[in-house]
Amino acid sequence: MKFTKGERTFYVFNYVLLTLAGTLCLLPLLHLASLSLSGKNAVLSGFVSLWPQEITFESYKLLFEGTPILRSLGNSVLITLVGVALSMVVTVCAAYPLARREFYGRRWISLAIVFTMLFTGGLIPTYLVVSSLGLVNNYGSLWLPALVSTYNMMIMRSFFENIPEELVEAARIDGSGEWRLLLRIVLPLSLPVLATIGLFYAVYYWNSFFNVMIYINSPEKLNLTVLIQQMVRSQSVLQEINTMDTQQVTNITPEGIKAAGIMVMILPMLALYPLLQKYFVKGVTLGAIKG
Amino acid sequence: MKANPAKNVRLREQEQARSTGEARRFWHTQRFKTNMPLWLMFLPVIAFYLVFKYAPMAGLVIAFKNYTFYEGIWGSQWVGFDNFQMLFTQSQSLQIIRNTLLLSVLSVVIAFPFPIMLAIMLNEVRRKWFQKTVQTLVYLPHFFSWVIVGGLVVTLFAQTGIVNVLLERLTGQSFAFLFHEASWVAIFLGSGIWKDAGFSAIIYLAALTSIDPSLYEAASIDGAGKWKQIRHITLPGIAPTIVIMLILAMGRVMEVGFDQVYVLQNSIVSGISEVISTYIYAIGLQGGQFSLTAALGLFESLVAFVLVLLTNAVARRFGKGLW
Repeated sequence: MKFTKGERTFYVFNYVLLTLAGTLCLLPLLHLASLSLSGKNAVLSGFVSLWPQEITFESYKLLFEGTPILRSLGNSVLITLVGVALSMVVTVCAAYPLARREFYGRRWISLAIVFTMLFTGGLIPTYLVVSSLGLVNNYGSLWLPALVSTYNMMIMRSFFENIPEELVEAARIDGSGEWRLLLRIVLPLSLPVLATIGLFYAVYYWNSFFNVMIYINSPEKLNLTVLIQQMVRSQSVLQEINTMDTQQVTNITPEGIKAAGIMVMILPMLALYPLLQKYFVKGVTLGAIKG
Repeated sequence: MKANPAKNVRLREQEQARSTGEARRFWHTQRFKTNMPLWLMFLPVIAFYLVFKYAPMAGLVIAFKNYTFYEGIWGSQWVGFDNFQMLFTQSQSLQIIRNTLLLSVLSVVIAFPFPIMLAIMLNEVRRKWFQKTVQTLVYLPHFFSWVIVGGLVVTLFAQTGIVNVLLERLTGQSFAFLFHEASWVAIFLGSGIWKDAGFSAIIYLAALTSIDPSLYEAASIDGAGKWKQIRHITLPGIAPTIVIMLILAMGRVMEVGFDQVYVLQNSIVSGISEVISTYIYAIGLQGGQFSLTAALGLFESLVAFVLVLLTNAVARRFGKGLW
């Protein structure tokens, strides 16, 4: 294929700009990874850019030994696993009946649900409801108010709606009850959408920050996001850790520790990223088609 | 004409049901039978929406009351519009509303075109591996929580951060990016674009695939260059998607996400960085002024609601409404 001069300029610009955009997304991560692996002198002199200098794992070692990061990592995992399980069950329970045209009140209920996307009670009344249920300082305050994301539920519903009616009819003639129908026919046919929504919820729970901050008081119940935020904010990360072992911290900087903390949050995401990318793109396009 | 199988089945069934009284009765019992288990599984969902969505809406009455912990939501004194009056006369809360509008309008105006440009650029790439690589990279930041992005930004732009180290080597001076209002706003907007522009491009990319390639061929034969093709084929082709995204963005004009501001803000730039969500958190939850901040929340929700309806009405006039 031959390009005109104008086209060639366009393509050169296009490739250069896109390369730039991609690099911009990667560089901060590389820099942070280098910081977390570099020794004190290198960090303080500002020599660390995209490659670790005087490589040391002290920051990570100290992070895991001197801070409650392992416990909050465990909390994050617990919050995510239980949250995803609960949300998936209830979201299916919402999407499936709404996808069935013989469901009584389907239209009105859909309207009432969509309305909650447009108008909300806001933070304070929600907080009052959650606290009046006695959920404060209890992971229930993270799971219950987030059981159904209306957006996710709509995506799932439109997927269920597109399952061929004939399959459902055939199963019903064979004498399947509704539950059997759902568990044996509809759900196995919906694995892609289930994976997508499951990942949506997983990322939501893994990243949850604000809810943990307002509902969870005990330090030992905090998740990774809040702990890392406190460390990044704190001027005295090192002093807090210092108290245990002064010998160890000679080669450590607060920057290194903070960078290591952020890396601990990023790494699980990177490990799951191929899955995330595949299913999220699918989910976003699914949602876009049906509005 | 497009065949709609679900509709055909429904029509057929209705016809059958109408044909004889017995068939109708049979259909009704059948429908009732399938409805029982459906409703059984739907009950928790109803409970969820009532308790966590509609009960808070009812709880908004405290915006018109003087809520105290001991008297509870229903027992507290009615004060009419006092809370709103206070909000709209206090210079502090006015400033917060102004900041919220400023930051979100800037976000919409400045950040909105980035995903569109990115999608168009990605769509023009002929080498698949290059396209895939760039997509993989630009989608990534979307999955990070604001705590991570905030941590990155603070590390990069801190006084001893890499940006300042480089700046000092080049100009001999460093600059406190996070502590000047203008540069803070720039960082705020930039970090939002960095995090979400790539991911938001997905929707436009999907819309771009539905444009008929023969249009480009015809335009190319007629001598239209790349720019003309983008202006007259690509942009009109994705215009409906752009309008929908704009409607959705309008709904968020009153809310500047708490997380983003919270992880980036500091006391020195609070004159610009304090927004409705952070104010409700600080004054309401931490300061215990529930009624006042509930009023602010109600104001926020109402404005967002009206804005969505308005934008949709405007879009409908052009035949592109969301509903």
